[in-house]
Amino acid sequence: MSPSRRGWIPWILLGVVAAGVLVWAVWPSGDPTDAERTRSLAHELRCPDCESLSAADSQTASARAIRRDLKQRVAEGQSDATIRRAYVDRYGESILLKPERGGLGLLVWGLPVLLLIAGAGALVVAFRRWRGAAPLQPTDDDEALVREMRTGERAS
Amino acid sequence: MKHPARWVAGAVAVLLVAFSVVLATQVGSDPRADAKKSQLAGKDAPEFTVETLDGQELTEADLAGKATIVNFWNTWCIPCREEHPELTKFYERHADDPDFVMLGIVRDDNRKAVDRWMRANGDAWTIATDPGGNAALSFGTRGQPETFAISPDGLVVGYQFGPSSVRDLETLLAAARGGTGL
Repeated sequence: MSPSRRGWIPWILLGVVAAGVLVWAVWPSGDPTDAERTRSLAHELRCPDCESLSAADSQTASARAIRRDLKQRVAEGQSDATIRRAYVDRYGESILLKPERGGLGLLVWGLPVLLLIAGAGALVVAFRRWRGAAPLQPTDDDEALVREMRTGERAS
Repeated sequence: MKHPARWVAGAVAVLLVAFSVVLATQVGSDPRADAKKSQLAGKDAPEFTVETLDGQELTEADLAGKATIVNFWNTWCIPCREEHPELTKFYERHADDPDFVMLGIVRDDNRKAVDRWMRANGDAWTIATDPGGNAALSFGTRGQPETFAISPDGLVVGYQFGPSSVRDLETLLAAARGGTGL
């Protein structure tokens, strides 16, 4: 293997490790139970009559009613998307604490990823440039200046 | 590609500009603007079941064929108390209208407080409690008082968030009867 190819090995290993950690972090660990789904959905929905709290964190009558309703819908076998849609139909998009992954929400989710990719691309370009740049060579004037200074030092 | 860094920077700039344009044109300055309007407007009234103070179940089906005003309230809510004289005046005007019904749904209160309120005020319109808060949830309420107008064929044709005046209530009733709503 040529030295230039060998130089890529740490980067490839780093990429593999990073990808592995990401997959491990986001991979679902088995099917969630009904209680887990209910809790997760309650964390996604805003409590309608309090500011910036989820239905899971609030103790208002509305939040309690939402938790009961979610439990019932999950037990009936409704999908998470169907349940979210039912709440959006009733309260509007503002009931969701996280934007939906579609329409305008897709932009909000996708833009950071695109920016991350663009940033990584910019880094790759910058690293290549730094590596490809020829090392600075002293000009004749530089060498003459150094000779002159050394001569001066010896004379003193 | 001659200047890759410039292309990347250009792509990022284009993305940011596109994002800004979308945010400026599609998103209002108030992220909770839709909290000020009912998503039910123009749709079928939701299914609900409430319990009248004499223990009878009442559902949306019982209101069919009537111009209906549904008012969500609580005894402890100050705006609801301020609204109460207006509701009383309005109801007195229309109590004998054969096509009209007014329903007060207690949104989040205890029964003792409601009974005390009724002894003191003796509201003549139908008052019901909302066990489990399901009716409040079905109507997508965010607080109280909130008032909805339902047409005889079961459509939500008007709403008022916050205290209603007699004039507001007349407008809602006119909408429920087929006049101008929403």
